[in-house]
Amino acid sequence: MKMPIIQLENVWKIYKMGNVEVNALQGLNLDIKEGEFVAIMGPSGSGKSTAVNMIGCLDVPTKGKITLENHDISKLSESELAQIRGRKIGFIFQQFNLIPTLTALENVMLPMIFQGVGENERMEKATKLLELVGLGDRIYHKPSELSGGEQQRVAIARSLANDPEVVLADEPTGNLDSKTGANVLDFLEKLHRDERKTIVMVTHDQNLAKVAERIEFLKDGKIVKSLNNNRRSDAK
Amino acid sequence: MNIYEIKYALQNFRKRKLRSGLTILSILIGITAIFALLSFGIGIRKYVDALADEAGRNKLFIQGKGIGAPGTDENFFLTKKDVDFVSKIKGVDEIVGMYFKVGEIGYNEQKKFYFVSGMNTDKIDFIEETFTIEVIKGRQLKKEDVDKAVLGYNYQFDDKIFKKAVRLGDKIEINGNHYEVIGFYEEVGNPQDDTNVYITDKSFETLYPDSKDKFGFVMISAQKGVEPSELAERIEEKLRKSKDQEEGKEDFFVQTFEDALATFTTIINVINGMLVLIALVSLVVAFVNIMNTMYTAILERTKEIGVMKAIGAKNSDILFVFVAEAGLIGLIGGILGVLLGYIVSSIGGSIAASSGFALLKPAYPLALIIGCLVFSVLVGATAGFLPARRASKLKPVDALRYE
Repeated sequence: MKMPIIQLENVWKIYKMGNVEVNALQGLNLDIKEGEFVAIMGPSGSGKSTAVNMIGCLDVPTKGKITLENHDISKLSESELAQIRGRKIGFIFQQFNLIPTLTALENVMLPMIFQGVGENERMEKATKLLELVGLGDRIYHKPSELSGGEQQRVAIARSLANDPEVVLADEPTGNLDSKTGANVLDFLEKLHRDERKTIVMVTHDQNLAKVAERIEFLKDGKIVKSLNNNRRSDAK
Repeated sequence: MNIYEIKYALQNFRKRKLRSGLTILSILIGITAIFALLSFGIGIRKYVDALADEAGRNKLFIQGKGIGAPGTDENFFLTKKDVDFVSKIKGVDEIVGMYFKVGEIGYNEQKKFYFVSGMNTDKIDFIEETFTIEVIKGRQLKKEDVDKAVLGYNYQFDDKIFKKAVRLGDKIEINGNHYEVIGFYEEVGNPQDDTNVYITDKSFETLYPDSKDKFGFVMISAQKGVEPSELAERIEEKLRKSKDQEEGKEDFFVQTFEDALATFTTIINVINGMLVLIALVSLVVAFVNIMNTMYTAILERTKEIGVMKAIGAKNSDILFVFVAEAGLIGLIGGILGVLLGYIVSSIGGSIAASSGFALLKPAYPLALIIGCLVFSVLVGATAGFLPARRASKLKPVDALRYE
């Protein structure tokens, strides 16, 4: 059996909004194992975004334990958390979230800057990653000069910059038309298949979730159903 | 923190040219003013120091307690007897009394009023050394030079004193008497000294018979090893007794050359310091401006900060990026300010020189340039610190959600 990379045990997240407490997560249990492609599904308000924040070490739980490669993340300082995020997790956002003032190449280089990678190595690797996502001829373009699909591919390249253990995609096709979305999805699948990357994708779209090996259904802040997608496994 | 983050700051900075430009403008103005003012202050100090070195720090003066230029007070004079008395005081090396009087100078039908100075030709080298002037054209006055004159620097030029420049061998009039011009002194750098007319003491006594043996200004040098300030006190005390005057009510005072310069330097420093202080106020404005710009930038880039944190930026990275960006604004403002300050003070210096104030010559020591640059970077970085700290403390989740 493969080791879990990320483990969420009875995770609670409680937000205070004025005097009202909102329980975004209510005892979430989830294991992500190495090399898996997991989709987290749920309607809006089900706690998907909060779950992503937890898995991505962007936030710490109110209660419960999150283990990332044997580190209890609630025991880490903010700087250590940032370091772990930078090295182990690659983010893909719904809104792409590229830095608008930087070129595609510079955007992909940015995560490596924070890990202290030297300039030549950064340049070389970023160029390779952009070639991998099929944007080798557009590396000096700024986000505003790229289409939505191209921007998301730059974001995918960026997410891979530091060879992360896990790629975390939050509604990666939510801002794209269905054709471009399918294209991006194919790409994630290819990453999983060819590069053996662990991928966690959050979506509300059942059709998208089908590409995953395992689908976790989230409702009211906890997993209500877990489904092994055999068809997908067979296809592999 | 590393060099690449500085590059990132630089890229951001370049890509927001207009706002960065306006913020730079605000610090540029302050640095320009400070650089220009200090370059004049330093220049004057250098001039004074050079003057003191050249004239020698062992010189003393006796002059009247009046108002106005030395030696011009008509009510005060030391007689030849006084000068002889002082020359015998222990510690006095050389001594010479100078005649000064306003005269009507005429050339080519034009007439102007300037100072005429009678020089003791026996002591002419001593006088020139003390005044730190040398003849640059023609020759010095000699004892037998009756009806001959040496002129100040400014007479050599068209439209400066007379319509036409005076040349060697020309005749000028002093109070209606003719004198042949045999030399010109070098530039002193202030309009009074550069317009003087010098004749021998004998010619002076003929020209102004009433003023014979009445010196408005006496120059002394202390003997080697004698402290000029002590000698000044000694002369003051003895001369007071000899003139039978009460302490504190003397009609004269003795001052060392260094003291005279120190007084002058102090006045200059105070004026300069006050101007620099005013310029500093403009830097306070620049400080607030940079801070405001950085707060705006951080608000605008909140989401960007969230993204950077998500992809691995530590708090210290974010802090560094924004402090570096603010510091960069300061540095560029500083560089441009120094350049503009250089231009402004050079122009100011040449305007002053052409108006006869050549002593107002700006100086640009390396320390001034580096000091201004370091200071402007510090102003920028300090102004950027609080905004940068706020940015660094943003929670990644909140920052990412910010629209």
